[in-house]
Amino acid sequence: MSDQGHDFLKDYQAFARQSWDSWMRYLQQSGAPAPFGIPPSAPNDDLLTRSLASLKAYGSWLQQAAGAGPAGFGPMMGMGNWQQPAAMQSFLAAFTPPFAQTVAGIDSASAFGLDHQWQSWLQAMQRAGMSGVNGMNAAGAMQGLPAFGLTREMQLDQQALAAAINDYVQINARYHALLQQVSTRGIARLQEMLGQRTEPGKQLDSMKALYDLWVDAMEEAYSELALSDEYRDVFGAMVNAQMQVRKLQQQQTEKMCRELGIPTRSEVHSLGQRVQQLRRDLQASKQREFHAGSNEVGALQAEIAELKRELAASKAAAKVRPIAGKPEEGNGKSAAVSRTKTARSASSKRK
Amino acid sequence: MQTPLHIDPQQAFNEMAALQRKLAAGMQNLRGLGEQEYANTPREEVYREDKLTLWHIKGSDRPTAKVPTLIVYALVNTVWMTDLQDDRSLVRNLLAQGEDVYLIDWGYPDGADRWLTLDDYLNGYLDRCVDIIRQRHGLEAINLLGICQGGTFSLCYTAMHPEKVKNLITMVTPVDFRTPDNMLSHWVQSMDVDLFVDAMGNIPAELMNWVYLMLKPLRLNQQKYISMVDILDNPAELKNFLRMERWIFDSPDQAGEAFRQFIKEFFQQNKLIKGDLQIGRQPVDLGMISQPILNIYATQDHLVPPDASRPLGRHVSTTDYTELAFKGGHIGIYVSSRAQREVAPAIHQWLRDRT
Repeated sequence: MSDQGHDFLKDYQAFARQSWDSWMRYLQQSGAPAPFGIPPSAPNDDLLTRSLASLKAYGSWLQQAAGAGPAGFGPMMGMGNWQQPAAMQSFLAAFTPPFAQTVAGIDSASAFGLDHQWQSWLQAMQRAGMSGVNGMNAAGAMQGLPAFGLTREMQLDQQALAAAINDYVQINARYHALLQQVSTRGIARLQEMLGQRTEPGKQLDSMKALYDLWVDAMEEAYSELALSDEYRDVFGAMVNAQMQVRKLQQQQTEKMCRELGIPTRSEVHSLGQRVQQLRRDLQASKQREFHAGSNEVGALQAEIAELKRELAASKAAAKVRPIAGKPEEGNGKSAAVSRTKTARSASSKRK
Repeated sequence: MQTPLHIDPQQAFNEMAALQRKLAAGMQNLRGLGEQEYANTPREEVYREDKLTLWHIKGSDRPTAKVPTLIVYALVNTVWMTDLQDDRSLVRNLLAQGEDVYLIDWGYPDGADRWLTLDDYLNGYLDRCVDIIRQRHGLEAINLLGICQGGTFSLCYTAMHPEKVKNLITMVTPVDFRTPDNMLSHWVQSMDVDLFVDAMGNIPAELMNWVYLMLKPLRLNQQKYISMVDILDNPAELKNFLRMERWIFDSPDQAGEAFRQFIKEFFQQNKLIKGDLQIGRQPVDLGMISQPILNIYATQDHLVPPDASRPLGRHVSTTDYTELAFKGGHIGIYVSSRAQREVAPAIHQWLRDRT
């Protein structure tokens, strides 16, 4: 690598740092959120947050990958250097942090981010003055000890919760250890992919192309892992452990609410179930009315049709009768009255 | 042997400098854009119950189709994917073909909807919507167009109420929930769904979004936003991007009981194709479906792999079964340029041949 190349890269690093800092200052002055805070609700701010996190990860990678030191792509440009394991490992190390950062970013912003939920719950319980909660952090040490005295039930609850949290912490560590394998496997896959691009015309000629290839490699490695039996079991166990913690937290909260006369989750559920059943009953009742109405309309239509037939028959009979003067009008009126009566009669019968 | 990296330092410098410049210039564009509206094709509210709204979509011309088509969307995300923007709208394209289109907006369930079951959704809400459309048009049966989970619902509904469905179209619809490449299904197999729903109640939209992002974490949570830099100086493209972002993250919570049933009986036990599914008191036997079926799947669908959709033909009794493979993904089937050209005309042609 020439000195000129090194100069370019040094210039770039200085430029990138300067630009990044300026950009961040601009966003902060504009009232944009801190890039790694909890995503705010406004859509564009949310987008900004996610974009910033992604771009910062990308920017870090660019700086490392383009660095003039042994981890930079400069030394990798030499003939055959990219095949040397030590040089390759050093270079590829730049690719490791972004994956972990990305997954951590998704985790912390999601409902699966148990850590902040846990802290919030603990603080809320402490503020509410629930005795014994202050010792929760040490509850693990109480496990296995017999519970006794006035607070016996509470001690048992806390021991159960501490055990559940312990289970969750352990399985969560296994889950993240599994995800770490993605980086290792992904980098191996990237190395393979790079090996397939040594021919002129297939070579990577931009940093973005290299980044995109890295994403392809990591996603392939991730997909393979995520479809494995081991991942399925660890993921399921992690979700189950977290739900167990949540359930026990709810039970403790419920006890406290009951003592304070505050409506509990169980009571709300009970009401919700009743409301849902009432909705069903109401709809069923409407359906019955609708069908009954349909039947009534159908019966009326049948009666009208019958009356029309009768009317037509009586008209036909009148035509064959040798009548002088205007008796036809009288017959017609009589038929109309008769039809009305029949209809009323039928209606009153139904009632 | 050559090196795979053919990156000129000067060029790399220029590339990175260009990225920084685009960012700096583009942020101003991004800040001024605000919330992007969907296409909002004119529509009339026909029926409302709880959170649900049944809409009749109004085209500029009277429909030529004699039988209306009801779009049944999934409970996850919103039905507005079918009417996303002016030039990318399945419903507009169907109207332009002369179809008469209704759609169900399931709304946003809250705590009051925690106990809604699949029976409530299918034999309650959906059945009432179908009855209302039949009544409005004086028809015994109408067409159903089910999308994703809504396609699964449409299959169940048709099996339970065959007399009310004339033609059935399913789009990116899971039928076999246990195929080896179905990542979502794989992940829920070891989950204790009862514990999950008991602890969560309704399933928050944020959690659903987390799961979807984790299907392709780097692509969906990082690469996408890095690529966004390239369109920061293009307000039209940026608006499209923001609109899609709105749709992706504007998702409803899931009613707890319905979610429990769907995960257990469909994803875990695969009862739909085993033939032992029951919704409410009614058995669901796909063999009862003798209506013409058009089954459209996406060849690059990472949410509902083609192998999850294609088995449908083997489980229904109809002799008029058509499959259409769309070259694209789960979202591209509605919003890609190819979709605008291919999907609605194919649906219209298929329906017209059966009228």
